[in-house]
Amino acid sequence: MKSLPEIRSLARLVAGAMFAAGLFAAPLPAGAMTAQEVLLYKGADRQKVLEEGAKKEGKLTIYSSLTVNQALRPMVAAFNKKYPFVKAEFWRGDTRKISQKVLAEMRANALQADLLESSGLGQIMVQAKALEKFTSPMFAKIPAQFVDKKQLLAPSRFSYMGTAYNTKLVPAGTQPKTFEDLLDPKWKGKLAWRAHSESGDLLFVANILQTMGDKKGEDFLKKLSGQKIINFDGSARTLVNRVIEGEYPVALNIFLHHPIISAKKGAPVAAFPMEPVPSIAGHLMVPKGVNRPHAAMLFIDFYLSDEGQNVLRKAKYFPVVAHVRPDDSIAEVSPRVSNIKENYLDVEELFDYHKKGAAILNKHFR
Amino acid sequence: MSPLAFGMISLLLLLMVPAVIYLAQSSLYETNFDGSFGAFTLRHYLDLFSNDRFLRNFVNASLYASGSAAVAICLGVVQAWIVERTNTPGRSFVLIISIISLGVPSVLYTISFLFLLGKAGPLNQLLMWLTGSATPIINIYSLWGMIVIEGIEFSPLAFLLLSSVFKSNDAAFEEASMMSGAGIITTFRRITLKLAMPGILALLILIFIRAFESFETPALVGRPGGVSVLTTDIYAAIQVQVPANYGQAGAFSIMLLLIVVVLLYWYGRLSRHAERFQTITGKGFRPRVVDIGRWRWLTSGILVLMFFVIIGFPIGIVTWVSLVPYYDGVHASALKLMSFAHYWTVWEGDMFHDSLANTLIMGAACASVVAPFTALCAWFAVRRQRGGQILDQLASLPLIFPAIVMGVAYLQLFLHVPLLYGTLLAIIIASSVRFLPYGMRYSYAGILQIHKELEEASALSGARQATTFLRIVMPLVAPAMVTCWLFVFLVAVKAVSIPILLAGPNSRVVATTIFDLWENGVIGELSAMGMVWTLMMTVVSVTFSILARRYGLNVR
Repeated sequence: MKSLPEIRSLARLVAGAMFAAGLFAAPLPAGAMTAQEVLLYKGADRQKVLEEGAKKEGKLTIYSSLTVNQALRPMVAAFNKKYPFVKAEFWRGDTRKISQKVLAEMRANALQADLLESSGLGQIMVQAKALEKFTSPMFAKIPAQFVDKKQLLAPSRFSYMGTAYNTKLVPAGTQPKTFEDLLDPKWKGKLAWRAHSESGDLLFVANILQTMGDKKGEDFLKKLSGQKIINFDGSARTLVNRVIEGEYPVALNIFLHHPIISAKKGAPVAAFPMEPVPSIAGHLMVPKGVNRPHAAMLFIDFYLSDEGQNVLRKAKYFPVVAHVRPDDSIAEVSPRVSNIKENYLDVEELFDYHKKGAAILNKHFR
Repeated sequence: MSPLAFGMISLLLLLMVPAVIYLAQSSLYETNFDGSFGAFTLRHYLDLFSNDRFLRNFVNASLYASGSAAVAICLGVVQAWIVERTNTPGRSFVLIISIISLGVPSVLYTISFLFLLGKAGPLNQLLMWLTGSATPIINIYSLWGMIVIEGIEFSPLAFLLLSSVFKSNDAAFEEASMMSGAGIITTFRRITLKLAMPGILALLILIFIRAFESFETPALVGRPGGVSVLTTDIYAAIQVQVPANYGQAGAFSIMLLLIVVVLLYWYGRLSRHAERFQTITGKGFRPRVVDIGRWRWLTSGILVLMFFVIIGFPIGIVTWVSLVPYYDGVHASALKLMSFAHYWTVWEGDMFHDSLANTLIMGAACASVVAPFTALCAWFAVRRQRGGQILDQLASLPLIFPAIVMGVAYLQLFLHVPLLYGTLLAIIIASSVRFLPYGMRYSYAGILQIHKELEEASALSGARQATTFLRIVMPLVAPAMVTCWLFVFLVAVKAVSIPILLAGPNSRVVATTIFDLWENGVIGELSAMGMVWTLMMTVVSVTFSILARRYGLNVR
C-alpha cells in the first residue's frame, strides 16, 4: 500500500529515470565515430576499432530466420567463442515476424535488434527505408552479381527451392516432376505450401510468372488452385517435418537441403528440384538507428569469413563466398555444382512480383 | 473519498483509458508501411461488412465456442455427477486432474493433442491398423479438432463448477425418484440433470465466452487447417501481414470486445436468476451420495479413462517426444533411440534460463501487484467506503477485454510511450491489469469473511484507517491473499496472448518460447522444456489447492 507522499516520490523517481535515459540517448561526444561512420569504416585499423567498440557495447542482438539447431545456434556460439567480450544473443523468427518486430521497435524508439538475417526480408526493409548502409572487406570474396550496390544488404546464404515428398506415401519416381505434373488430379488436397511467405507461396508464384509469362502463368495458377493446396503457417523446416510425419504427402517450395538432411538421418522424405529452380539469397542487414554498430560489423565480418562460412557449410546451408563449396551431401541440389536449371530472383525482382503474386494468391488460393 | 481511494481510481483509469483510446484510434486510421498512423478512415469498419471475412470468422468462432462448451460440459457433467452423487470408489482422485491442469500452459496442452491426434499420432496409427487404411483417418487441423481439444481443455473447469452445482442439490428428490421405481439413468436424466440445468446453462455461456475469445487452440490448430476465427485474424493482421495492418486488427478487436460485452451481460442476467432453481432451503437439507450398486465399477472405469484423456495421454506424449530424436509416431523402434539429449540442449542454452527467469519474475510481480491491490479495492467496496463501488467496477472491468484485444491495446500504448516497448515491465503492467478481476474474486471472498467489529474496535482504540487495514485486516486476510497470489501467479505464467504481442527478445516468457519453438519445428526441445516447466508449476498448483481448500476459498 502506498500513501500519496510515497506515490509522489515514486513519480519523482520515474521522472528522474526518464531524464537520465534521455541523457544517454543524446549524441555522442565529439571525436567518437557515429554509427554510420563505423558501418562504413574502411581504415587499416578496422579490426581494432571494431573490437574496441564492441568491447564497450558488450552485447549483440541478432534476429534471424536461420534454423536454430542446425545453423543459428552454432554460428552464434562460434562468434561468442572468438569474441568472448561480446555477448551475442539471437531470436529466431520468420521474415514477417522479424519485420513486424523491428518496425514496431523503431516506431516505439526502442530498437533492440542490432543485426538482421533472413531471406525475403531484404525487399521489405528496403521499402520501409529501415536499413543502414554498411560495408565489409569480405564483400570482395562474394561473386559481384550478388553484392548490393546500394550497400544496404549483404548476401548471407543461397537458397534453392523445390519439392519435398514423403517416400512412404509417395514412392520415389512417382513424385510430381514438372509444374504441369502438379495439375494431375491425384495430387488434389495433397500439396502444401507456406502461405503468406516470401520464400513460400509468393516465391512459387513469382517463379511461375517470370518463367511462363504473366498471362500463361496466371492461367496455370488458376488451374493449380483447383488442387486445393493446403496453406501452411510456419517455417519451411516445420513444413518438411510435417511431410516426414505424414501430415502432408508433398510440400512445394521448401528449401531443398532440408529434406536431404533429414533423409540422411533415416527420415522417410526426399527432395526434388523442379526446373527451373527458383533461387534467392538471404541477407545480412543493419537496422536503422542501430545501437551497437561495432558488434554488428564484427559479426558480419565473422559471418562472411572462411570461419563463418564453414560453420554455414557444416550446417548444410549454401555458402555465399565463392571459394567455399557447399557440403558434398547437399551439392546435388546446388545449380552451381550440379547441372540444374536455376532462376535467380534478386531483391528488386522479388519486390516487383510481390504485389502481383499477392493479388493472384488472394484471388485464387485463400 | 480518502486520498488513497482517489489515487487508486486515478491509477486504474491511467492504466486503462489510454490503452483503449489508442486501440480505438488504431481502428480509425490507415496504417503506414512503418506502422505509424496515416489518414483518418472508416474503411476498416466498412470492410467488416463489405467482404465475408468477418462474417466467416464470426461463424467459425461461434461454432467452435459452442462446440467446445458442449464437449466440456458433457465431460464435466459426467465427472461431477460421478464424484459428487455416487459412491464410486476412488472418486476423490479426480481432483488431481484439476490440480495438474492448472499448471500446464495451454499452448503446451494444445500441442500435446496435436502430437496425439496428428496424422503421425498414435490415434491415427491405431485407426489405420484397425481399418487397414493406408492414409491417416482423422484430420485434427479442422473445426472438429479445435472443438475436441478446447472442450477437453475446459473440462476441468466445467467439472469444478458443476460439482458445486451438484453438491447443492438436495438428495431427497433423487431418493423419491428411485423409490418410485425409476432407475439410475432415468433419475439422472429426469431429476439430477434438470435440477442442475440453470447452473449448466450459465456455465455453457461462460465457456462459450472463454472459447470465443481464446487464442491458443485457434492459432495452433485452426490456422494450419484454414479455419480462422476473430482472435487469430487479429493476430495475423499484426504479426503475419506486411505491413502490419493495425487498422484491421483494431476494428476486429473493437467488434470482438462488443460481442463479449453482450455475452457477458447475458451471462450476468442468467446467473442472477439462478436462485429460482435453488434447492438448498432451511428444511433438513442433506446432499448425499447415491448407492449405485454394481454400476460403480463402470463409473470408476469412466473416471480412469477420463484421467488418461485429460492428463495421462497428453503428458505421456510430451514426455515421449522429449525423449526421442525425431517424432514420427509411437513405436517400439524409437525406444532404442531414447535419450535426455533434448533436456541437455535446453539446459545448456540461454533460451530456457532466460524465459524461465522472465516468467517467474513476471508471474511473481503480477501476483504481488494484484493481490494487495485487489485486497484494498475489495475492502473499500465491502466496507462501503466512498469510491469503493467505483474501484470494484474498475478492477472488474478488464474481464470484458479478450486477452488478445488487451494485447493489441497495450501494444498500441507501448508503441507510443517511451522506454516500455519490448520490456518485461510492459508485460507485467498489461498482465496485472488483465488479472485484476481474478484477484478481485479471491480478495472479495476473503474480505467478506471478516466482521466489521474487529475494525471498529481498532478504530475506537484510536487507529487510523491505514493502520487498521495494515494491522487488523491484512493479517486476517493473509491466507486468502496467499491463495490469491498463487492463483494470479498460475494464470499469469500460463497466458500467451499478451506476451506474444508485447515480448521483445529479452523479455521472452515460457509460454511464448514454446509457441515460437512450435512454429520453428523444434518439438523435442519444446517438449523437454514443457515437461520441466509443468513439473515446477504442478508444485505451485498443489500448494495453491491445499491452501485454497484449507481456507475454504474454492472460488473460480
